[in-house]
Amino acid sequence: MSHPDDALQGAGATAPAPAVQLSSITKRYGPVTACADVDLELVPGEIHGVLGENGAGKSTLMKILIGLVQPDEGTITVAGSETVIHDPQTAADLGVGMVHQHLSLVESLTVWENVLLGDHRRFDRRAARDQVAATAEHYGLAIDPDSQVSDLSAGLRQRVELIKCLRRDPRILILDEPTSVLTPAESEQLFATLRDVVAREQRAVALVSHKLAEVLHATDTVTIMRQGRVVERSRTSGATPSSLARAMVGREVSLRTSAAALGATDELGNPATTPVAARSFDDRPEVLRIDRARLVRGGVTVLDDLSIRVRAGEIVGVAGVEGNGQRELGDVLSSLVALDDGSVTVDGTVVRTGRAGAMARAGVAIIPEDRHDSGCVLTMSIADNLLLDRIDTVARGGLISRAEQRRVALELMREFEVQGAGPDSLFGSLSGGNQQRVVLAREMSSKPKVLIAAQPTRGLDVGAIEYMSGRLRAAAESGIAVLLVSTELEEILDLSDRIIVLTRGKVMGELQRSEATSELLGLLLGGIAAGTDSTGGAHDPS
Amino acid sequence: MTRPDQATARRAVSLLGLYVLSVTVALVLSALLISITGGPWRGVLNALLDGAIRKPGRWGDTLAEATPLLIVSLGAIVSARAGLVNIGQEGQLAVGAATATYVATHLSGPLAIAGAVLAGFVGGALWAGIAALLKYWRKVPEVITTLLLVFIASQGTGYLLTRTFLLLDDDPNKPNRVQTSAQLDESTRIGYIRIFGNEFPWSVVAAVVLAIAVSVVLHRTTWGFRLTVLGRNARTAQRIGVPVVIAGATALALSGAFAGLAGAVMLTAGTANYRFTPGFANNVGWEGLLVALVARNRPLACIPIAFVFAALRTGSGFLAATGVERSIVDVVRSLLVLALLVPPAVAVMRQRRVTPPPAAAAADEPVVSVVVA
Repeated sequence: MSHPDDALQGAGATAPAPAVQLSSITKRYGPVTACADVDLELVPGEIHGVLGENGAGKSTLMKILIGLVQPDEGTITVAGSETVIHDPQTAADLGVGMVHQHLSLVESLTVWENVLLGDHRRFDRRAARDQVAATAEHYGLAIDPDSQVSDLSAGLRQRVELIKCLRRDPRILILDEPTSVLTPAESEQLFATLRDVVAREQRAVALVSHKLAEVLHATDTVTIMRQGRVVERSRTSGATPSSLARAMVGREVSLRTSAAALGATDELGNPATTPVAARSFDDRPEVLRIDRARLVRGGVTVLDDLSIRVRAGEIVGVAGVEGNGQRELGDVLSSLVALDDGSVTVDGTVVRTGRAGAMARAGVAIIPEDRHDSGCVLTMSIADNLLLDRIDTVARGGLISRAEQRRVALELMREFEVQGAGPDSLFGSLSGGNQQRVVLAREMSSKPKVLIAAQPTRGLDVGAIEYMSGRLRAAAESGIAVLLVSTELEEILDLSDRIIVLTRGKVMGELQRSEATSELLGLLLGGIAAGTDSTGGAHDPS
Repeated sequence: MTRPDQATARRAVSLLGLYVLSVTVALVLSALLISITGGPWRGVLNALLDGAIRKPGRWGDTLAEATPLLIVSLGAIVSARAGLVNIGQEGQLAVGAATATYVATHLSGPLAIAGAVLAGFVGGALWAGIAALLKYWRKVPEVITTLLLVFIASQGTGYLLTRTFLLLDDDPNKPNRVQTSAQLDESTRIGYIRIFGNEFPWSVVAAVVLAIAVSVVLHRTTWGFRLTVLGRNARTAQRIGVPVVIAGATALALSGAFAGLAGAVMLTAGTANYRFTPGFANNVGWEGLLVALVARNRPLACIPIAFVFAALRTGSGFLAATGVERSIVDVVRSLLVLALLVPPAVAVMRQRRVTPPPAAAAADEPVVSVVVA
């Protein structure tokens, strides 16, 4: 690893004055230091990648820049003069705009209304609407300013956020993990727009990401953070994928899983283009069978004639861009909602959907997409969370034996390597990775027949991702039918034996792992049905 | 493990300090108020203490007064545990007292008292059951229904006292029998314990046992565990197989049942001279709710806190006897109740400020707001 400052020395002579300069920024949350002595310079006319794993301090740094978080130490210099950014309004006045990872649009309003939201001065409706349309056109962001946001896809919604931001003519534009809701094609388009904004208008752009591939592809300069510190700064053109990966993770990265986690399968390991020997599961029993599932919510068909079959020992990946029915599929398999039509059969028995605990009793374990929503109780202890659905196994005559509960909990914590707290600590005090292990420990120790893993690695660091992937493979090996629901193509390609592409709650295509490449999946995700022409190996699900 | 212990100790000390501070402020304000209105302001605290515990026979009265407050607060905790906010104890207590009166005045013999207490329990449960029904059938928030049912209860029980075939005293020899029930006879009165010159009903002991039982059930049994899961994360509860509707409705009805039980206890222990009258509940329902609030939903903590609230009731009665105007006494009492509510509220706010937990902050996850019950 080179010294952080070395790489920029050469560029420093010719580079224009920085649009914004963060010096020695430090931010602590209790005992955790989110940012430690971080320096960052954004230069006009450049896309600056801020790369790091989850928890590396990227988001905190950006929140400081946008005024949502106040640093404990350090200074911010905007256009040559030192400033204090008290709040997002100050940041906006200074010309700092941000597109957040979690979109914040009002669904019931139209596109142009959303763009104008937060403006204080009076405006003329028509002029305002036209101005929004003009901004969109100027940047080649095709969108109808009159359409209602609730009708838009995630990609278009993000486009609205981008227009909202650009209309205020920011000198500094920050994008926080912008591709998490986009298809590969949409991401490509976004980067083209950014390139244009930077080249034509000399804006400074910060692209925050944990994906190696997109930082390599789209940025000019890159700053890599690990555990709150800047560990490397260099021109992107001079960086190699493996050097960046090493700096980001802090050790040599060789496993295929890590490559998948970093979104860099093409650069490292490369399973996406290498055919994997197909394993046949035809002789194994069909353990999970979802038949023609239909679910309508608020007048929208979120699951549409969806049929999925998973055999014992098989990992079936459900790929799809976020918001295409994954959450609802998870809800159905968690007994949270009842299907309007169709059925779920587990190991030959039809399970009534929407009935409290029915799926769990039938042997369906689930690592939910949002564990805080339906996978745990934050304000109960780790031991309680480990035995949530099986508290009667440590009770006699309805009376819980705390000693027995503690013993079982400690055993599970050891087996699943839950670290950082004792069994009596609150579940919410654990880090994300350890929380996920607790959920995994509970679900696996119920001896399930089916395991649903919905976005199982979201928000985890590389080590935790490797661990989780290993556990999923081991679960399949032991004969459990695994359904992996993920928006990360690399994760799907890395783990699945068979891949189903979900679009608008419908099966868009079904591929054997041996037939799948990231290009083909990208096409399917974009809504082009499989099995039509040149896609060759793809075939219709029915 | 020393550091968390030290932190806990520090928090306890600061909480205690807050109590001293807020009660002192309330007392000073009270003295000021009394002196402005021309009353004897010097002895406010003394009069309160005399009336609550120091004068002969007073702490027995305070214990008797604390009993229904304690029972009501235990019920409030049961529903809060399931994530439901029942604020209609005042009405549930009145209904429970009314049903208990009906049974007590129509039955006699050794089983009459058990029947009356059971009737109070059932009456309160049914009244809260209406709110439960509306919640799970029509999704009407229980906060609103339980509150509004208080007013229906107070008018409804008032009507019961206008008809002799219902609750109105039908003794023709009584000259003034407007809107009171018949007096309970000896067989339906709770016995008294006499000790150190004080006397208090057996229900005091029963209520303490009940508090222990509630504590054990909520913290140590599988039923209490599942109820807690339901209260803190209803979706997780549904997923692990807690029958959300049945468990929630049971908790709400049970909470009403406790309030009704408190009403039956007040009646049979002679709080209002063994008669049911309009205004019988006398704010015990509301104050029981406050007891649970100050105890931050810990059943055992309710025991001393119910006693303190009862002491304010008996003590302020005594304060009125020293020549302070009745309405000013009510203000003084309310000030002191408010003073008791401030420290736990501050504690909860502090707890919120500590969140997000460091783990969540470090993992760049969205901050999850934890509602502290």
